[in-house]
Amino acid sequence: MTAEDKDREALSALMDGEAQELELRRVLDSISSDPSLRERWRRQQQVRELLQGQRNVSDVDVSTRVREVLDTKRPVRRNPIWSMAVAASVTLAVVMGGQQLLIPSSGVTPASVVSELGGAVVPVLGAQPVQASLGARALPVSHRQATGIQTTGQSVAAVYERLARDRYHRLNGRHAASAAHSHPAPYISYARVPELKLEAPDSE
Amino acid sequence: MLRASSDVTFEGTVLYERAGARQFLTVASAPAGSRGELRRMNAEANPRSEFWPIPSRSSKRICNVAEVYVSSLESGRVIAGRSTQRLTLRPRDTLRLTHLVDMDEETGLPLAMVTLDLDGQMLERYEYAAIEYSSGVSGGSVGDVVEAGYHRGRDIVPGYFLVSENPDRGVFVVSDGLATASIFVEPLPAGAPVGEGAIIEGATLTYTRGVRSASGGLLISVLGEVPFVTARLLADAVRPPLEGS
Repeated sequence: MTAEDKDREALSALMDGEAQELELRRVLDSISSDPSLRERWRRQQQVRELLQGQRNVSDVDVSTRVREVLDTKRPVRRNPIWSMAVAASVTLAVVMGGQQLLIPSSGVTPASVVSELGGAVVPVLGAQPVQASLGARALPVSHRQATGIQTTGQSVAAVYERLARDRYHRLNGRHAASAAHSHPAPYISYARVPELKLEAPDSE
Repeated sequence: MLRASSDVTFEGTVLYERAGARQFLTVASAPAGSRGELRRMNAEANPRSEFWPIPSRSSKRICNVAEVYVSSLESGRVIAGRSTQRLTLRPRDTLRLTHLVDMDEETGLPLAMVTLDLDGQMLERYEYAAIEYSSGVSGGSVGDVVEAGYHRGRDIVPGYFLVSENPDRGVFVVSDGLATASIFVEPLPAGAPVGEGAIIEGATLTYTRGVRSASGGLLISVLGEVPFVTARLLADAVRPPLEGS
């Protein structure tokens, strides 16, 4: 099998959603240097969209966006519309509430669970593949920062692990109430949460 | 399957497992137009009843699920004395989890379900130990399609669309028709550095990210039965104030 055949086979696997990340990266590398392979991917994407019944077939170069997602050095803003909608509402809240923007209408102030740990600022950390398993635990998050501030990075990781755990306990009832509407067995969403924490889902 | 929980009248006992913990539940389906009932049998003596909502049985929802999952059907094992068919829902991308659903061959009710991560490791599962059906169906014909109560909002990340939003409270909910993620935006706690972190409890991932902008800090929390990469993308979709143009 030639390298070209391998690329086409990998591309097919990718289109079928069966490609692993390493294979995906290799295909992206090939596509970046092989216009014909890039065109093949674009055509396959269009055919797939037609088969799925989409009336307006996109002409977007998907490979670029996929590459951006994989490249943890460049977090991607995926959807400007969403971003604009969120930003608009937040701006409104700032005007109305000053520094207390987006405080829930219940008036409960978010707990300052990290205030005692100082205010060091580091870049937003990068991502790495997650190995989730049957057991509650913190997930590893890679740190792209200079060796000299490694300790600071570890503190930041500890802070955000605590924040994630705190938000899980505070918000999982609201999430479960929303998730129940999509789960094939709605009661399973409720079973994930201690009964006293259940709340009504957030509505529009 | 998506319609069975609302169309079929049943009562049963379910074992639910995740994160090394297990609990038994008794569940009963809803009378027509009402809510289902749930009791946690390991929580306390004589547990009180809780109620679960009727799931959407929109045909659009089924189409949405089919767009992002590859499905396959095969003969399944016997569960709670019932023959089943195994429905495998594998994601077409890396933005969602895999679900293995054992459906009652006759009623379509999901009698067991396993959720797997991207590496095929089990995150959570449930399975009926016993189930009894009442005769007939509730809420009209099984074949009826009910579009009410199902709304597909704008797309946020591939396959995930907005199902509800409360901008004033900074709460957004997205779904791909099967998986759900909730996004909460609030002020960054005083003294908190910029950064990110995540924990996982069963299939539920909680991802937090602190960002700063000219107008102040924001803490974005994403809770959902989604992979880490999806949570990051959803957080990416939230922009600080004054950067929305």
